[in-house]
Amino acid sequence: MCMWRRLTALLIVICAPAAARAQRLPEGPLTAARGTVTVGGDITVTAGSRDDIAFFNYTDYEHNALRMVRLSLSGMWRPATRLAFLTELRSEDAQRVIPYALYVRVRPWSARAFDIQAGRVPPVFGAFARRSYGADNPLIGYPLAYQYLTSIRPDAVPFTADDLLAMRARGWRANYPVGVTAPGPGVPLVSAYRWDTGVQARATSARVEGAIAVTMGTLSNPRVDDDNRGRQVSGRVAWKPVVGLVLGASASRGQFLTATLENGLAALTTRQVHAQRALGLDAEYSRDYWIVRGEVIDSRWNLPDLSAPHIDAPLGARSAFVETRYRFTPRLFAAARADRLTFSSIRGQRLFAGQPTPWDAPVTRVEAGGGIYLQRNLTLRAVVQRNWRDAGRVKNRTFVSGQLSYWF
Amino acid sequence: MGRTLWPLFVVVGLLRSLALPGAPSPVTGAIRGRVDVRAAAAPPEGRPDPGGLGMAAPREPLDRRRSVVYLETAPRAAFEVNEERRVRMTQQHERFVPHVLAIVAGTWVDFPNNDRTYHNVFSLSKAKDFNLGRYAAGKSKAVRFERPGIVRVFCDIHSHMSAFILVFAHRYFAVTDDEGRYRLDGIPPGSYTVLVWNETVRGDPPRRTVTIGESGGDVDADFSIR
Repeated sequence: MCMWRRLTALLIVICAPAAARAQRLPEGPLTAARGTVTVGGDITVTAGSRDDIAFFNYTDYEHNALRMVRLSLSGMWRPATRLAFLTELRSEDAQRVIPYALYVRVRPWSARAFDIQAGRVPPVFGAFARRSYGADNPLIGYPLAYQYLTSIRPDAVPFTADDLLAMRARGWRANYPVGVTAPGPGVPLVSAYRWDTGVQARATSARVEGAIAVTMGTLSNPRVDDDNRGRQVSGRVAWKPVVGLVLGASASRGQFLTATLENGLAALTTRQVHAQRALGLDAEYSRDYWIVRGEVIDSRWNLPDLSAPHIDAPLGARSAFVETRYRFTPRLFAAARADRLTFSSIRGQRLFAGQPTPWDAPVTRVEAGGGIYLQRNLTLRAVVQRNWRDAGRVKNRTFVSGQLSYWF
Repeated sequence: MGRTLWPLFVVVGLLRSLALPGAPSPVTGAIRGRVDVRAAAAPPEGRPDPGGLGMAAPREPLDRRRSVVYLETAPRAAFEVNEERRVRMTQQHERFVPHVLAIVAGTWVDFPNNDRTYHNVFSLSKAKDFNLGRYAAGKSKAVRFERPGIVRVFCDIHSHMSAFILVFAHRYFAVTDDEGRYRLDGIPPGSYTVLVWNETVRGDPPRRTVTIGESGGDVDADFSIR
C-alpha cells in the first residue's frame, strides 16, 4: 500500500507540470533553454504472477522483472555542440531513486566521429543492455544472460566444489563459507540493471563502429565505487555491411572479487587474479515489418582454488538467445524469444557422486507475446514465459505478465 | 424504377454541370495575408539517449512557423476534384521534408528514403493509420489519403522525426511561405470563415470571417499566433 502511495505521488510530480501547461500528457520529450535541455521519461507498470519460489525472473533479491513498476527520467543538457551531460534516474517498485546513468559526453574534434564519455556510462559489451527504454524491449522479460542470477558472488566464494554445487539454482540467495557468509543474490553474466563507472571512447564510420571502456566493476557486477582496485577493460566492434544488418563482437576482462575478500584469501591461495572474462557476438537484422536479434555470450570467472574437491578451472557460463518482432498492422505486433543458459562442469565429492556436473543449473526460457500501440508512446503488451531448469525446488514454471508502458 | 426516375437524374446532372470547374465562373476573388507565428525555430526534439555511445549528428532546426490557412466551408465546386494527385514527403537528414504538407483527399503521398539509414514511416492517426515498415535508401513507398483530417507522421526508428499531413475535402487551403504569407485563389463571392492551423496552437484554431464581394477582388486577412 505504501509503495502505491509513493508511486502515485511520483506520477503526480512527473506529470503535473507538463499536464498543467499543455492540458495533456506530453507526446515527446520536454525541452528548455532553447532546446539545449531535453527531459524524457518512461513509466512501465508490469503485472504478473509471483515468482518468489522459483526466482526465474528476479533481477536481485527484491525485484521481479515480470512484476515491477519502473519509473525513469532521463535528461540531457547540451550546452555546446560537442559537449553534453546525460543522466537517467530510475526507481523500481517506487523504492529509492538510483542514478542509472550519469556522465559527460565530449566530442574533441568536430570533424571526427570520435566521442569520449566519463562517469556512470552505458556498457559497450553486447547490445541488449544499451536499450535503456522499456519500449526498446519487444517482450517484457529480459534475456537470461542479462538478468538470471547465477550462484556466483563477488563478495563470497565456495571453499570446495561441493559448496558451489550445493548452490545450484539458488542464485537469488546464495551463501558460501568464505567472505560474506550471509545469504545474498548472485550475479548475472552481464547486468542490464546497473551500469558501470569509468571512461569510454567510441569511433564510428559509415560501416564500422568501435568502442572501448575502462571501468570500475565487471560485466556481472558494475560499480559506482571501486571495491577491488582492479579495472575492467571492455570493447566492442560493430560492422554494418548493409543497411539493416549489424554484426557485433565484444570482449571484456575485469577483476571480479572484492578487495576485502581478496585480502582474506591471500593467506589461503597463491592465485592473485580472480577475474571475469567474457566474449560476445551479437547480430541484428531488420527489414519491412521484421526485426530479428540474437546474442551469444561466453563468460568465465576465475575463483580461488581453496580445498579439495577443487575448482581448478575457470567457471564457464554460456548464453544464447534469439528474438524477433513482427508488426502486423500499425498498432499490433507480436514478439518471441528463445533463450538458453548453460554452465561448465565441475566435480564434487559429496554431491553428484563425484560426476562432472554443471556448477549451476542450466536454464531454458521461451517467451512469446504481443502488444498494441494505444498511441505512439503508450503500449500495452502481454507475454507468456516458460522456464525449464535442471535443478532447484521448482524446475519449471510458466508466467503470464502484462505491461503498460508510456514514454515521452 | 429506372423509367420513372430518369428525368430526375437528367435535371440533377444539369444542375451539377453548372458547378463544374470547367464551367465559366463569372467572378472570383482571393484571400491573402500573412500569419505571424512567434514560435522560434528549434532543433527537433529527440529523446535523451543515455544508452548512446556518442554524439548524435547535429540536426537542422525545425521551422514551426509554417501554417496552413483554409476555408472552413468551401463552395461546392471545390469538392469536384477528379484528377489523381501525387506529392512527396522525403526522409532526409533524419527529417521529413516538408514538415507540413496540405493535400486534397484522394492524393497519393510518396515517402522516399534519401538517408543512408533505415526509416520506418508510420501513423496512428484517426484520419489515416499506416505503417510502411523499414526500407533503405533509394526506396520509396506511397500512401493514399482518402479521409479529411490531420495525420501525424512519425518514424519508428528515430523518435525525433515527425511531420503533419493535413487532408482537406476541398482545395481552398494554402501552406504559408517562408515569410508567413499565403494566398487562396478562385473563391466565388460569398462570406467565408478562414482558419489557421499551426502545430504550436493548442485548442481552437484562430479564425476570421471574410467576405468576397460580388465584384471579386483580393481581401486581406492577417493572423497572429503567439
